[in-house]
Amino acid sequence: MQFNASLTGDAAVLAREHGEMLARLPATVHAFILVELQKWPTLFGAEQRYQRALLAHLSGLARRELDQAASGIGRIEADAAINRLGERNPARFQDESQALLRKRGLNVTWREAIDRFFQNIDPVLEAHLYPDDAPRRLIVQLYASGIAVRRAKLWGRFARRGVRVPLNLEGVSGTDAFLRALFGPRASDGRAPAIFAPTGTAPLDAWLIEAHEALHALCDGTDTETVPATLTGVSYDRLRAYRDDLTRTLNRKIQSGVESPQAFAAYARSLQIVPSAGTLPNAADVVLAFVRDVLLTGNGTLFMNNTFVEWTAIQALRRAQPRMLVTRYGVRDRLKPFSSMVLFSQPRASDRVPIAQDPDGSFIDVEQLSYYVWLNAEKNPAYRNKTLYLFLAEDVDEMLAIRSDLPVTKPPAAARLSDVYATMAHWLGAPLQDGLGRPIDALVGP
Amino acid sequence: MTTLRRRDALRIIAACMADWWLPRRVSAQRTSESGKPERRVIVVTFGGGVRYEDTLAPEGWVNIPHLASELVPQGLVYPVARHEGLTGHFNSTGALVTGSRQNVDAYGSEAPVTPTIFELFRKERGLRPEEAWVIATNKSFGLMGGSKLRSYGDPYSANVVLPKQLLISTIKAAVSTEAGPGVEDRQALAERMMLALDEGYEGFGWRVFDSGRALGAELKASLGKSLLDYFNDPAAPTSGDELTFFMTKEIMNRLAPSLLLVNFWDIDIAHYGAYSLYLDAIRRTDRLVHELWQHAQSLPEYRDRTTLLVVPEMGRDSDVAGNGFANHRSGDESCRRVWLVALGAGVPKGAGTERPIRTMDVAPTVARILGFKMADCEGRPLTELAF
Repeated sequence: MQFNASLTGDAAVLAREHGEMLARLPATVHAFILVELQKWPTLFGAEQRYQRALLAHLSGLARRELDQAASGIGRIEADAAINRLGERNPARFQDESQALLRKRGLNVTWREAIDRFFQNIDPVLEAHLYPDDAPRRLIVQLYASGIAVRRAKLWGRFARRGVRVPLNLEGVSGTDAFLRALFGPRASDGRAPAIFAPTGTAPLDAWLIEAHEALHALCDGTDTETVPATLTGVSYDRLRAYRDDLTRTLNRKIQSGVESPQAFAAYARSLQIVPSAGTLPNAADVVLAFVRDVLLTGNGTLFMNNTFVEWTAIQALRRAQPRMLVTRYGVRDRLKPFSSMVLFSQPRASDRVPIAQDPDGSFIDVEQLSYYVWLNAEKNPAYRNKTLYLFLAEDVDEMLAIRSDLPVTKPPAAARLSDVYATMAHWLGAPLQDGLGRPIDALVGP
Repeated sequence: MTTLRRRDALRIIAACMADWWLPRRVSAQRTSESGKPERRVIVVTFGGGVRYEDTLAPEGWVNIPHLASELVPQGLVYPVARHEGLTGHFNSTGALVTGSRQNVDAYGSEAPVTPTIFELFRKERGLRPEEAWVIATNKSFGLMGGSKLRSYGDPYSANVVLPKQLLISTIKAAVSTEAGPGVEDRQALAERMMLALDEGYEGFGWRVFDSGRALGAELKASLGKSLLDYFNDPAAPTSGDELTFFMTKEIMNRLAPSLLLVNFWDIDIAHYGAYSLYLDAIRRTDRLVHELWQHAQSLPEYRDRTTLLVVPEMGRDSDVAGNGFANHRSGDESCRRVWLVALGAGVPKGAGTERPIRTMDVAPTVARILGFKMADCEGRPLTELAF
């Protein structure tokens, strides 16, 4: 199948280099790779490395081997008469081929064949991309103080995993004090806490993702337009104006008529709306595109703060693969009467019903969502066997810690928040400041 | 203006809507009912996609107290049911009502491609439109009542009512744009609502084959007031399924149709990623199913002659192999594994069978109960039921 992908730059070079192999692939796989290459400028480094490795691997296979690996998909494409499609734009070809597969009742078998194809490839790529000696990673998940934490059920999804660490809060109370004690002092240049941006790391190596803005407040005080970013942050609350803009634009499109869900998705992807300056600590183009995609493709991410946190975190883990990721969940609002009716519309102020919070429901939600973040991280070879997971709830004198490489067998003694800070710094290999706690042996030992 | 409690508003809406477009039972009886079977069937989709682990599995019983402790002991439970085919709402429900996998547009722009139980039932028995109904919360179910096949199609399809969609469309037209009157000028809003209701109701969630009734001025005013009260009452969580439930009751009271598909769908709020709201919706659906069964038992037209089939049209993704409760497109086993509870006439009490069944078996089972032929479908009747 000959596609017209209109690629430029590195993506065009890659497609040219591997053109012969791509042409031998089943059309649906070929189109999928081209669509990924079309996104090249908005792909994170980890994604670009994967695409390069995938193309190199497929090109390295003997012709017969490749044909055999793809034969199942090819048969299904033939049954669905996909080869008769005349569409040459890879994205539109994907839509049309999916419609054909559906009409022929072949979606399920096609998906199974695709899964089999990549199940054979991915272990090879993973061994290459994620060697055993890759750096350790850290994921911290926080529950904000307004969530109605039920101690008996706290982190209940992890009943048989990890270890509970008693915390001595030493009178630390309130969100700001808790977070400052946990993440330690700011770097000497006065920007974010040093642990978020150790020397030699890139802004995309540390991500803060939160429902509200307390984590971002730890890093406030610098002019993000003149000072280079040291980390990447996304706050649901700080994105309010941007979310409103997107919602209004989508609503206008819906009101004016939408041809199909595919057409609507394409329209959404084409939107050039961006958050105002200062909203994001790192406003690189790749992050702007990422945030737009999260809001437009994630279930409920436009309307539910904790869903936004979870989905953003999962996408960041999958795509950007930061070394350190901190999520902070908050209290979500109750759903308003017939919310589905007004979600996309912008009722005037006088028509709006008052906002009420749901701290109890929020707890049930975040228990599930934080579990999903952990699950998704563990599915990812970048994190599997390399990650320390810490779960904390503000003002709660207990922490859950999970090491993905080995079980923690020694029950830890009570620790201070400064000890947790020291543990994180030690795990990441970041310099420790004297007198600021001691790493918890049970967690950082060999 | 007195603000009604939300539940009161719901009752008024249901009553007003029904008064508006439903023919009275007394007039319906004037025409022949010779083909009408003795038995009645109500198929309820425990709908929107729900996981086995969150419902019928022991750890899920806490979410379905009425089913687990009151309805299942009265009936027959199939804990191992499977949906085959595409895991979208329209196609999975289409499989329920046709007995065959459907591969049509996921968003309801295409009708099922094989005959539905409604068409087969009405055609073979020569029954009027009032005998078969689809009452659905899912807004994309406008074409669920019948195929477009030349020998079947509209002349034999079920009436389809989408109560939530009617309400949403009407209110949205009135309050969601700057051109609308908003809710401050309530008189203007009421007039806008009446205007919307007068404008071709087919576009607002109706596909009623016995149409043409005019909306009286008094009813219009009552309906408008109810809609306003409904919209302005923030006290309780809102539920399209409650509106569907009330409309179902009205249809049962007034027309006593032999065959109903009631599509509950609130559970699909799971897409918003809020697990607590998903669980709330499961509990609400459980309660509504129970209330629906109680209502059927309270009506002479249904008592002792009705078979109730409760079945999720599909599951949702598993946590580990899929994408979690929020989605149902992974195709993993969790979004295919469901269950079925049968209750009432012809159903052994307090029974259960581990025999695996498919959701496609529902349609031929309904056909056997109501006594019409359903030869060409993939499903097979559930032989544990007495026909």
